[in-house]
Amino acid sequence: MYAAPVSRLIAELSRLPGIGQRSAQRLAFHLLRASSEEAAALAEAIQEMKRTVGLCERCFNLAVGPLCRICEDPRRDDDTLCVVEEPSDVIPMERTNEFRGRYHVLGGALSPIDGVDPEDLRLEELFRRVEGGGVREVVVATNPTTTGEATALYIADSLRERAPSATVTRLASGLPVGADLEYADEVTLGKALRGRSSL
Amino acid sequence: MPGSFKTEAVVLRSIRFGEADRVLHLYTEERGRVGAIAKGVRRVRSRFGGRLEPLFRVRLILHEGRGDLCTVSAAETVHPHARLREHREGLDRGVQAADAVLRLFDAAEPNRPAYNLLCQELALLDHSPEAATRAQALAFRMKLMLAAGFAPELAGCATCGEVEAGGLFSPAAGGVVCSACEAGAFPLERPGQEFMVAALARPLAEAPTAADPALRQADRAIVETLEHHAHVRLRRVA
Repeated sequence: MYAAPVSRLIAELSRLPGIGQRSAQRLAFHLLRASSEEAAALAEAIQEMKRTVGLCERCFNLAVGPLCRICEDPRRDDDTLCVVEEPSDVIPMERTNEFRGRYHVLGGALSPIDGVDPEDLRLEELFRRVEGGGVREVVVATNPTTTGEATALYIADSLRERAPSATVTRLASGLPVGADLEYADEVTLGKALRGRSSL
Repeated sequence: MPGSFKTEAVVLRSIRFGEADRVLHLYTEERGRVGAIAKGVRRVRSRFGGRLEPLFRVRLILHEGRGDLCTVSAAETVHPHARLREHREGLDRGVQAADAVLRLFDAAEPNRPAYNLLCQELALLDHSPEAATRAQALAFRMKLMLAAGFAPELAGCATCGEVEAGGLFSPAAGGVVCSACEAGAFPLERPGQEFMVAALARPLAEAPTAADPALRQADRAIVETLEHHAHVRLRRVA
């Protein structure tokens, strides 16, 4: 229906997450109307990102160079390690401005149904980092999903054996600010009740 | 036919989809396996909360459109299995049970015994975390095989009917075999065979126990029988 280059662009765009055929068409026609400079800037940004961005050698967060911005920062606390599933999980943690320690990105969560076993994640690297000493607390910030909870329990059990001096903590679960109690599920509300604090 | 229907279900698996959605694999009481999409469920303020996480037993209103997947319109908790999620062994066994149902029952047709068995297993693991043993997990699989119509023959030779059969198990024949029919069989000693018989006979909460070698043999018999006859490959129960 379209000229071959337009069809190719639509096909490539529709492979992106959250982009369906219709959105891909809209984006393709936007790019067709844009100036050559704008289109080239987008293409160059994609190429530059693929060329320069890799994983941090220490924490496996996204990095330009061998270490990420957080691992390079001497002002961060070395004794607290926050464990997250994906590099994208570092960003919301940083936005809180509450955490000043370092990170460790696992690259997913344990899920035997999907064939994700401990050796498929960067768990051994985590255990070696903690065993290496200097880490007082490991904050497990995996998602509060079944796979995230299974991963958190696995980390806690393993560190209890391999690095008993380190404290393993889990992010608190509870009600989101602005939510209605009547919509809260039983597990979340139960955890919120157990974790209640005095005013 | 498009429209809405109500059913009770256990969430077996949940896969991230799109920006904030999840595709769910459900085992329902009335329709067997159903695939559904839960829109916006990954958002913190989703009205579904955590109700559509794997191992939740829920009452659902599903909308059936023209596609393969239903859409979840409403979800109400029947049993959250909250305690099960706090113990690693219990959670692992619960996920193993869901995985076995996921692989063994892939048709959109109801199997009430299988549904009830899964609900009982999850309730047991939630109520008694100490029940999350290898023997108990194998006992659940034995009963699941029975519900699926693949229960192994344990009373006599599966090939010729010889009553004195024992000591050997043939996945191809689907049960114990005598020495004359032993082609392709592997050892299943008396403790392993007795474990399998007792696992079928006793309620889940009173699952039998056995020594490790017997459990290993029973595990192999279950996994290879299902592989041969149901064409599904379950992971060994560690």
